[in-house]
Amino acid sequence: MITFILNHKITKTGFLVLVVLASSCKKLIEIPANPPTAITEAQQFADSATAMTAISGIYSYTGFASSGFMYNNAYFTACTSLSSNDLVYTATYDPNMQQFYTNGVNDLNTLANTLWGNPYTGLYGVNAVLSNIAASNVFSAPFKTQITGEMKLVRAFYYFNTVNLFGDIPLVLSTDYKKTSVLPRTPVEGIYTQILSDLADAQKALPAAYPSDGRVRPNLYTVLSLLSKVQLYRKQWQAAYDAANSVIGSGLYTLEPDPNKVFLDGSNEAIWQIPATGSNNVTQEASSFIPYSSSIPTYLLSPELLNAFETGDLRRDAWVQDYLVNVNGTDEHFYGPYKYKNLNATTTPYTEDYMIFRVADLYLIRAEAAAHLGKTTEALDDLNLVRARAGLGASSAVTADEIIAAVLGERRIEFFCEWGNRWFDLKRTGTIDAVLSAEKPGWKPYLALYPVPRPQRQFNSLLTQNPGY
Amino acid sequence: MQIQAFCKLLSYLHEDSKSLLTKTILVMKLSAILLLVTSLHVAARSTAQKVTYSGKAVELPKVLSVIREQTGYVFFYDKKYMQDISPITVSLKDAPLELALRTILQGLPLDFEIQGNTIFINRKTPDIIIMDAPEEPKAALEDTIRGIVWDSTGIPLQGASVLIKGTKKGTRTDLKGGFVLKHSRQMAVVVISYTGYEDKEVAASGDAPLYIFLKRSQNPLDATVVQAYGSTSRRYNVGSISTVTAEIIEKQPVTNVLLAIQGQAPGLAVNATSGIPGSKVMVQVRGQNTIQNTTTLFRPYDQPLFIIDGVPFATQNNNINQLSSLVSGSSFNGGISQPGGISPFNGLNPADIESISILKDADATSIYGTQGSNGVILITTKKGKAGKDGKTDLNISVNTGFNSSARQVKLMNTQQYLQMRKDAFAADGITPNLIPYSSGYAPDLLVFDQNRNTDWRKVLLGKTSNNTDVHASLSGGSYQNSFLISGGYTRSDFNFPGDFSDERLTLHTATHHSSIDNRLSVDFGTDYSYDKNNGAGGGISKMLNPPNTPDLLDAAGNISWTYKGIDLTNYQFYNFLKQPVNVQVHNLNTSLHLNYKLLPGLSLSANLGYNRNTTAETRQNPASSQNPLYSSRTASFAGGTAQTLNVEPQIDYNNTIGKGVFSALLGASYKKNLSNSNSIEGVGYADDRFLGSLVGAASVYAYDNSSIYKYAAAFARLRYVYDRKYILSLTGRRDGSSNFGPGHQFGDFGSVGAGWIFSEEKGFASAQHFISFGKLSGSYGTSGSDGVGPYLFQPFWGPGGSYISPVQGIRPNFPTNLYNPDFSWALKRSLNLALDLGFFHDRLLLNATYYLDKEGNQLTGYPLPIQAGFATVAQNVDAMIQNAGWEFTLTTTNIKTKNITWTTNFNITFNRNKLLNFPNLESSSYNNSYVIGKPTSIIIGSRFKGLNPQTGLFEYYTKDGKATNSPMYGLAAQGGDYAPIGDREVKYMGGFTNNFTYKRISLYVFFQFSSQMAPNWLKSVYSSAPPGSFPANQPVQVLNYWKSPGDQTPIQRLTSSYYGSVASDAAGNFGSSSGAYSDDTYLRLKTLSVSYNFSDEALRKLHVHDARIYVNAQNLLTITNYKVGDPETFGDLSTFPLQRILAFGLSFNF
Repeated sequence: MITFILNHKITKTGFLVLVVLASSCKKLIEIPANPPTAITEAQQFADSATAMTAISGIYSYTGFASSGFMYNNAYFTACTSLSSNDLVYTATYDPNMQQFYTNGVNDLNTLANTLWGNPYTGLYGVNAVLSNIAASNVFSAPFKTQITGEMKLVRAFYYFNTVNLFGDIPLVLSTDYKKTSVLPRTPVEGIYTQILSDLADAQKALPAAYPSDGRVRPNLYTVLSLLSKVQLYRKQWQAAYDAANSVIGSGLYTLEPDPNKVFLDGSNEAIWQIPATGSNNVTQEASSFIPYSSSIPTYLLSPELLNAFETGDLRRDAWVQDYLVNVNGTDEHFYGPYKYKNLNATTTPYTEDYMIFRVADLYLIRAEAAAHLGKTTEALDDLNLVRARAGLGASSAVTADEIIAAVLGERRIEFFCEWGNRWFDLKRTGTIDAVLSAEKPGWKPYLALYPVPRPQRQFNSLLTQNPGY
Repeated sequence: MQIQAFCKLLSYLHEDSKSLLTKTILVMKLSAILLLVTSLHVAARSTAQKVTYSGKAVELPKVLSVIREQTGYVFFYDKKYMQDISPITVSLKDAPLELALRTILQGLPLDFEIQGNTIFINRKTPDIIIMDAPEEPKAALEDTIRGIVWDSTGIPLQGASVLIKGTKKGTRTDLKGGFVLKHSRQMAVVVISYTGYEDKEVAASGDAPLYIFLKRSQNPLDATVVQAYGSTSRRYNVGSISTVTAEIIEKQPVTNVLLAIQGQAPGLAVNATSGIPGSKVMVQVRGQNTIQNTTTLFRPYDQPLFIIDGVPFATQNNNINQLSSLVSGSSFNGGISQPGGISPFNGLNPADIESISILKDADATSIYGTQGSNGVILITTKKGKAGKDGKTDLNISVNTGFNSSARQVKLMNTQQYLQMRKDAFAADGITPNLIPYSSGYAPDLLVFDQNRNTDWRKVLLGKTSNNTDVHASLSGGSYQNSFLISGGYTRSDFNFPGDFSDERLTLHTATHHSSIDNRLSVDFGTDYSYDKNNGAGGGISKMLNPPNTPDLLDAAGNISWTYKGIDLTNYQFYNFLKQPVNVQVHNLNTSLHLNYKLLPGLSLSANLGYNRNTTAETRQNPASSQNPLYSSRTASFAGGTAQTLNVEPQIDYNNTIGKGVFSALLGASYKKNLSNSNSIEGVGYADDRFLGSLVGAASVYAYDNSSIYKYAAAFARLRYVYDRKYILSLTGRRDGSSNFGPGHQFGDFGSVGAGWIFSEEKGFASAQHFISFGKLSGSYGTSGSDGVGPYLFQPFWGPGGSYISPVQGIRPNFPTNLYNPDFSWALKRSLNLALDLGFFHDRLLLNATYYLDKEGNQLTGYPLPIQAGFATVAQNVDAMIQNAGWEFTLTTTNIKTKNITWTTNFNITFNRNKLLNFPNLESSSYNNSYVIGKPTSIIIGSRFKGLNPQTGLFEYYTKDGKATNSPMYGLAAQGGDYAPIGDREVKYMGGFTNNFTYKRISLYVFFQFSSQMAPNWLKSVYSSAPPGSFPANQPVQVLNYWKSPGDQTPIQRLTSSYYGSVASDAAGNFGSSSGAYSDDTYLRLKTLSVSYNFSDEALRKLHVHDARIYVNAQNLLTITNYKVGDPETFGDLSTFPLQRILAFGLSFNF
């Protein structure tokens, strides 16, 4: 029967027609090389001009998209400040944020998942730029050096923050998902090795001058700022001291006399600041911390932090906002973070930039390192410089230990609600259990590391959980 | 004269084609003249005479003799013409003679001609006038049987099989229904058969050609079954196809046609996502074939391929709306679909649909290649019908209905609620206070009126809403040119406070043309619809407001934002109702089918189609709808367009070869699918009145998206039916898809099907009496799936959106996807075995089908840990999913008498799904989602031990079998306490229909049933803050909470803390435990329809016929063990409930 069908003349002709049709199929299913909303990676890195749009993406502080500079949602600040008892969370509708405040973060917490995931989203872009720049011949050597240096600094910065939040983390240095998706956690020391290696490369590559206007794309001193902080965290006092010394010694940066002007675009104190290019050009810190109405702010300074301000501290007025709210018929005072003040920048764009490193940090790093190295006078000088800007008199600390304690106290005030400084300082100095058991009911030492989010462990069974969770 | 002419007709087909054209033209001219002369003649002579006569089931000659008596006209006819004519029923009063004759002969294969006082009754001839023909040599004539085959309305049947009885000698009828069998005179009986018609045996005698009229078969086995690129009958089909016809669809008072097929076909699961008018309906054929990473309340669905009149539906069953609203769901990505949202099928008027075929096995779906692996649903719209005697028919159908919630959840009253709240605080020893961020914050206990009682569910959903549906259709024409135009208007309100509705206008047309020589046929149809869904921003979850929540509107009807200093924002829902969300959908579907019969048995055809679906949405957030403390006027505008262009040339060949019928279909398919979507948001308006435009916005943000999909294929189907007993069917397809990268674009698919109608075997019928039909059939083959978005095989970078400002003057680009150049088709292998039995002259038909489907090389959005930079990548996974099942259909005619008929239809499906294998599952992203050997709907969670009567807390088993309040996440292999705790497979589902008619009354009763394990109401209760810890009402059943040691209850001790305490932890773990799932088995009286047909006599004066009044009811009664909430929406407490619909209607024809 089948033979019959195949022998049949018409069937044969038909099959012939089909064969002809099939061979033209390839043409029929051709689609344009790229959709109108995107270009291919090859097109993206065709020359230095198009490559710059990818690099621009690395520094893009979009505000609410999960792309660009990945600390663009204020979660990093809010979560660590709640965990470290700098802030009080007043809203009842978001159990995720609540968990940070009550130190009850579990592995299903979606914000912990964001804090874990966002840096890796950012790292993909960084690694993609690095590999495409390295693999191509179309770029000039200086361009390659400059961009490679910048990307390595950004990469080190992502890892520095993430390793301090979660401990051991996967070390991802390429874009090949088949390899990167099955990486286990690398121990903290291994992450620091990579950070130091990236910083060393960046230090060699980047010049003292900023490659573009402002202090958006990093220069040598940005690298040294991060290096100084990394070494401080690693208790490498001399290295931390040296790096901080270089930054301060460059003469490029001075403390802004007026605390109100520290976070403005063009601040003299800024070492690395990124323009807020998202919705309304406001920083996410401003839109998260400043209430839109005369209701109780969602985030309040904790009583402990408020008490830590000395009388006459200019920062208490400049960086803390007093909200008078009518609660059940009575006016009550509520105090919220107010370093970033601009809630509607549509009309006056870019008045505030998102500050990553500022020279006050370097003074205090140098002070702390100096104290550890026995250079108490130098340490006190740096500490008092920061205090003076706040309108405060010289510190009464005398011994190295006293100075170190004073510096850490100063850091709490100077850097509250900034880059998890308080949370990290408590952890790196080993004081976290003593301090937080007093301030936070139910504090347990394992809570110093956030849990590895469950979805991540679900999709990568090699990821272990932090102890205690 | 006519006989000679007929011979000529037969012979000229075999002449050379040169003279064919001229002769055809000549024929046409002559026919025109003849027709004109005849009609003038008739008109001139017959107007004066009147006829009055009534009679039921009277033999035609008797009627004619009455007319002779009344008019004096004499009738002339051949007696044998009357042999095939069944008795007629007629009622005439003072009818002019010509009208009387037309009425009497209406629907009969007879015609009349008036000459003088004589009326000649002749057999109807086809519309071709036959010319005189030269004599053929006598010898040839003598040994030849010739004839012509028509259906009972005089349409020539081409391709009917003509077989000399008891031999292998046979032929097929040609274009005009004619056939010639040479050298056959001695074998005198011919058997004529044609799909969908009753067979007929005719003895050839004398020289006269045989005039053969076939009657349409009433046997369900011969009913037309629409299949891929054509149609077949249940008798000869070897694939698995279920069909739902207009007759069934029109009884369901639903606006979405997908709901009308729920429970009607075995193997087809249909789930409403919500009761809101216009909302999406999920459909799945024969179980889940693919692994997916979405976990929602609904199972992730494999959506079948939807084709309407040959045109692939551009949107398929994906969401078409982008803005969030009451209907929710918002992903217009042309790819993975989410439940919720507006159904694209809302634009189809069920009244315009003729049939829906569900294609399930490889024989039926392989011909769709890569698109067929999830089954195919073919929707065929109504076509024009030639009017009886050229009469044009107007049908008007009107109905109006009332909707209410089908299965209400009873919530606590104030007294009960306050008791729960007080007990919750007391349980933790906390004094309620008014500190807004303290855990004791309880304005409902301290400030709100303690005696006020509002059932917020009633406020939000208590309204009975209305449905209105009007449908009119006009059809008519002749066999050669017929048309249908119909229009419909449907309006369904929401039972929500305010003016919310879904309104739909539909226009359907179908035209048919056959050329005079019957070679060319053209079918053109369009469907256009406009749907407007007026909804609101949300607010449905506020039905769980405390029952003593103060008035949310002030006396003037404005929104109240505070009550005695308490902020009411979190309780407010009128604000959402004042945020209008308007979705407008236009859908155009147009199809052209051309067919040209090139040679006897050989035709060329083409399907050309275009479908376009456009969506325009607006959402406004006026300041008046917002808390004045933080109001910000915004407006969103979104639009989406999805288009499909479809071109399918085909060659069709049919012939009788030996004792069998051979048919071949060869074709090619080209499809282009384009979709675009955009959304624009305006913010910073100065005035609410500008929200309809973008001009007044201070800033505008825009997003857009577009995708392109091209597809090309060549396909073939070969079929041979030998001796009406043995059927062989082969299909094959080569497919190319633009969704894949170079080297992976093309794939080959095919199937083999075979059938054996054993009841046709000699001796079978004589061996027993009751089995009248028996068929064994089976098929095996492959189909595929290319269900991913375009371009994913390449890495892309793109600008994130218009809201992103340049960084230092450079607009940024971001990486948009991970890429994998190597992914390709998922491949499904299907085996289908079926047994069809007919008993007692096919009054009882049973179909039993077993199928075994295995889909491998799974194409999936593979979930990745975010460390890879993206959460998913398109990738093939070497996993195999099996669906095996049984489907049974029983169709019976229980009673069939003159006055009473009772038919029953029952179907039931048992599907068993399992993950057959999955190499390296343990190290894959699915390690905690799937288990080999278990269904894809497996639930992995903790094993619920129960409530500890001493502590009043929920307890779960650890992996070692100990009790704990907080089990560890993860399977035991990963150190956790979790284990497979069940699956959500539908164990069985089906439908049971009974149709009764008694004289003019008909009753249709349809039950639908389903059984599975599903999330229960407690999951909904415990997936938010534990009862009592939050100002939120609960179902009244929650009152049965644990109060003192020893209490045995399903509800945990209350707690005032919703996190951080042992009680809240124990409560929080409930949702992922086995306690959150229960048996969900229901039997639902889905449809009850009663109708009454008026007698035509009663209506004649109104010039109305076929009038009917009816009542259709939907979701009238539910029998279930499912405790709280609707078993179809799985007890979700804040979902828009499914509707109980009661519709009253009237349908009549002019």
